[in-house]
Amino acid sequence: MLNIQNLERRWLKYKIKFYAPYILGLIALLTLLIAVTYSKKSDTDEAKESIASPSKSTHEASSTVLEPSMDFVRSFQTTLPMNETPKAPLQKNAQPVREPLPVAKLVSTPPPDLSDEKSFSLNRTESKLDIETLERRFKETSNANLGLFIARYHYDHGNYSEAYNFALKTNSISNKIEESWIIFAKSLVKLGRAEQAKKTLQFYITDSNSEAARSLLDTIERGTFK
Amino acid sequence: MEHSLFSKPRDLFLDVVNPKDYVQIDSIAHIYQSLKSSVQKPLKMILLFGRPGTGKSMLLHKLHHDLSKHQKVFMFDIPIVDEDDFLRVLAERIFAYSPRETMTLTRFLEIAEAVSYTDVPIVLLDEAQLYSSSLMEKIRLISDARVIKFVITLHKTDKEEIIAKEHFQTRIWESIELHNATAEELKIYIQKKLLKANCFDVANMFNDKNIKLVASLTKGNFRETNKLLFSLFSLYCWYEENNPALIQYNALKSKWIEMAAIHTGLIHA
Ligand SMILES: Nc1ncnc2c1ncn2[C@@H]1O[C@H](COP(=O)(O)OP(=O)(O)OP(=O)(O)O)[C@@H](O)[C@H]1O
Ligand SMILES: [Mg+2]
Repeated sequence: MLNIQNLERRWLKYKIKFYAPYILGLIALLTLLIAVTYSKKSDTDEAKESIASPSKSTHEASSTVLEPSMDFVRSFQTTLPMNETPKAPLQKNAQPVREPLPVAKLVSTPPPDLSDEKSFSLNRTESKLDIETLERRFKETSNANLGLFIARYHYDHGNYSEAYNFALKTNSISNKIEESWIIFAKSLVKLGRAEQAKKTLQFYITDSNSEAARSLLDTIERGTFK
Repeated sequence: MEHSLFSKPRDLFLDVVNPKDYVQIDSIAHIYQSLKSSVQKPLKMILLFGRPGTGKSMLLHKLHHDLSKHQKVFMFDIPIVDEDDFLRVLAERIFAYSPRETMTLTRFLEIAEAVSYTDVPIVLLDEAQLYSSSLMEKIRLISDARVIKFVITLHKTDKEEIIAKEHFQTRIWESIELHNATAEELKIYIQKKLLKANCFDVANMFNDKNIKLVASLTKGNFRETNKLLFSLFSLYCWYEENNPALIQYNALKSKWIEMAAIHTGLIHA
């Protein structure tokens, strides 16, 4: 039932996804740091870039080179004044990356997918949609009574393989529901598997002493079941 | 696998409703008390509503269990969505009347009059969001005639809230809303469940950090919590059998809680 390897893998993926923004933030931070120290220290590069205006002093040149890096900082949505030292934005830009994280990623419960239920309660004709809604609810709730309800519905509508399926699921949730065992066995007969039905009933009778199961077994054995 | 330390706690968290497993939490006990006293008041219908998995069915079953010792109370946990069937089954179960003819509302009320119990029988209807509005109207008329006292549960989603308002927020309804548990309540819920079943060692494995993680994943929803813990303990069963060295017995592993959450779909990964 549990595929541990697969779960481990998905967990790792989830963790990576969860920490990715932090890591990206860190990388951005480092890049910025390098860019800033680079622009400050390598005077030769700055000289090359200011070829267009060779008369400019090295001091002026360094301030022109600083501007693009400030734009980069602004793209992180910090509201820093233009002429602040590059050190301050470095610390600040870590926060906006961190902020939206924890809740949004972690607690993403599936949305209540009950959009159809409204139409179900308003329009309760025995359409296909209604039982599908119920089946979805059953999947969600694992309510044995609902499983039985669905199994009975399908049996009554002649969908014996579906009836068999839901009775089986219901029995696995609760093996104490007599009617579910009965529907299970009756569906088996309808599906042409009388032998299996008999075996199931015999098994269930030893377990429960069910009168109803015994009489059903009787009719199947006498061939009077219809 | 069966004498595993974790198979019993795992099965405790199967998502089933049995009044014997009812766990008392202050806020729920409070609601339950007011529910019990409302039931004894005439005329008003009682509506228990709240999001899926907040414990409405549990409360209804508990009420049924407790009331049935003293009075006539009938539980309908599988909705009978067909209107004729509904009245017929009601007449059959409550008034022991099984007619051949189709059951109209008038006929039903006649039968009820004829039988006339001294105490008004109580009917508990679970999953009322599955009933049509015209059937709900009939239920209201039966209640108005003081023939039956109804307690119904309805699970609301954002969309259904509108219907809930239209149908039920009138003065004939006494509505009681159930909510998800707080982290503190959830802790009590989990511990009480484990302790009741003598799973002391496992109960001790839950520390506050574990509880916080569980509560934040499930938002305090009982059903989600059950599903999460069921798969968590299934995981523990697996490790116990296949790699016991990995199990720490002093605390639950956050990683495994998250893996269980991935398995149940609380975390998308
Ligand atoms: N007070 C309680 N004590 C013990 N278990 C509880 C309690 N309340 C809820 N539970 C458990 O939580 C799960 C969900 O509760 P329940 O089925 O009553 O929810 P619900 O509100 O009826 O949901 P839905 O709207 O889907 O029908 C069940 O497995 C139930 O056993
Ligand atoms: Mg319910």
